[in-house]
Amino acid sequence: MTDESIMEAVKNGDLNLASLLFDRYHKRIYNFLARLCMDREQAEDLTQNVFLRIIRYRNSYKEGLRFQSWIYQVARNVFSDHYQKHKNRTADFFDVERITDYMADADDDRNAEEQERLLRRSMEKLSDEQRELLILTRFQHMKYEDVAVIMNTTVANIKVKVHRAIGKLREFYFELDKI
Amino acid sequence: MDNEKLEAQLIDYIDGKLSEKEKAEVEQELMLNEEAYKLYEQLKEVIRTIDHAKPMEPSLRLKQQFEASLREEIAAQQKQKSIFMHPATYRIAAAVALLILGGGVGFWLSTNNQHQQELARLRKEMEATKTMMMAMIENNQSASQRLQGVNVALSISSVDADIVRALSHTLREDPNTNVRLAALDALSKFHNEPGVRKVLIDALSTQNDPVVQIALIQLLVKMKEQSIVNDLQDLVNDEGTMKAVKDEAYSGLMKLS
Repeated sequence: MTDESIMEAVKNGDLNLASLLFDRYHKRIYNFLARLCMDREQAEDLTQNVFLRIIRYRNSYKEGLRFQSWIYQVARNVFSDHYQKHKNRTADFFDVERITDYMADADDDRNAEEQERLLRRSMEKLSDEQRELLILTRFQHMKYEDVAVIMNTTVANIKVKVHRAIGKLREFYFELDKI
Repeated sequence: MDNEKLEAQLIDYIDGKLSEKEKAEVEQELMLNEEAYKLYEQLKEVIRTIDHAKPMEPSLRLKQQFEASLREEIAAQQKQKSIFMHPATYRIAAAVALLILGGGVGFWLSTNNQHQQELARLRKEMEATKTMMMAMIENNQSASQRLQGVNVALSISSVDADIVRALSHTLREDPNTNVRLAALDALSKFHNEPGVRKVLIDALSTQNDPVVQIALIQLLVKMKEQSIVNDLQDLVNDEGTMKAVKDEAYSGLMKLS
């Protein structure tokens, strides 16, 4: 059963099927929001809001629209609303217990934990748009075509912006590395 | 190669997205350009770090909260359905609708009945007035009664054939000038009624009271009645006609011609 046909059924009142969509998407949406808001607990609440919106505003889902595009658009809106409300974001992205999750696959030359820390701090320094683009294209391996739909722009534009964002990330990464 | 273009090429090179020709160009650049090689190494490390970043696992709380919220939404949906679809609700809604409809029909019938009664009462009153008025107009014994009867006719807003006939008869035959004048007044008010115009035209040749004649000429001229031109001409030419009447007839001829 495709995401789209499940969503159509949800729209027609079969709300129980929404749990299938939750199972398929909640980790991706959670990761997207966690890297975007840099707060894992907050990301859980926001993910919860995304799925609630999907259910409550099910009638606004347009037939033929790719579900993945729609749910990411909803997630972006949820984040944007949250961001407007809490402009002073906290940077407690990874707590001590969870940081051990990132200890595997240690790099030969550099400690993987250190690299992760640098990456996080460099990501924080990017603009919201650049961070969002890198999360979608590099962390979530989404195609430029799909990102273009979500962000309502052209593929060429996405490609140029992603390249610039990686370039900027590299700058911050090695600047911070010197400190 | 400018920096931005080089950076883009290096990223695509690391991602393995370049054609063989582009790949060879980039490798050539990396061999000759130390800065480019440094940039390449840095980009590679950043991209590799991203690639090695493991997806984060949400806590069980997320799924539990979602399931709880979903149950609430389903319950809310069922409650909403039950409000609209429960048979008892249908029955109550039907009863209320019937009550409202019944009340409406009852009210309409009652109002309609009141209107009917009111109309009947008015019609009865009009009949009584007409009978009284006709009786007064046809009272041969009293000119004042006839005058009063004609004035009643003058005060009513619409007339029927019986009243027109009675007023015409009064204009033609009543021996009292004042009564005839009053009848003329009443008929002028209803000059658009069928037959009234003809009564007035005929009256011009039969009336011989100067006061009535003058009033009649004034009225017919006001009505722009062209057919009275010959009658007016006769009045002007008739030597027995009073001067005031002649003048009025002459004036009328001027206005109608």
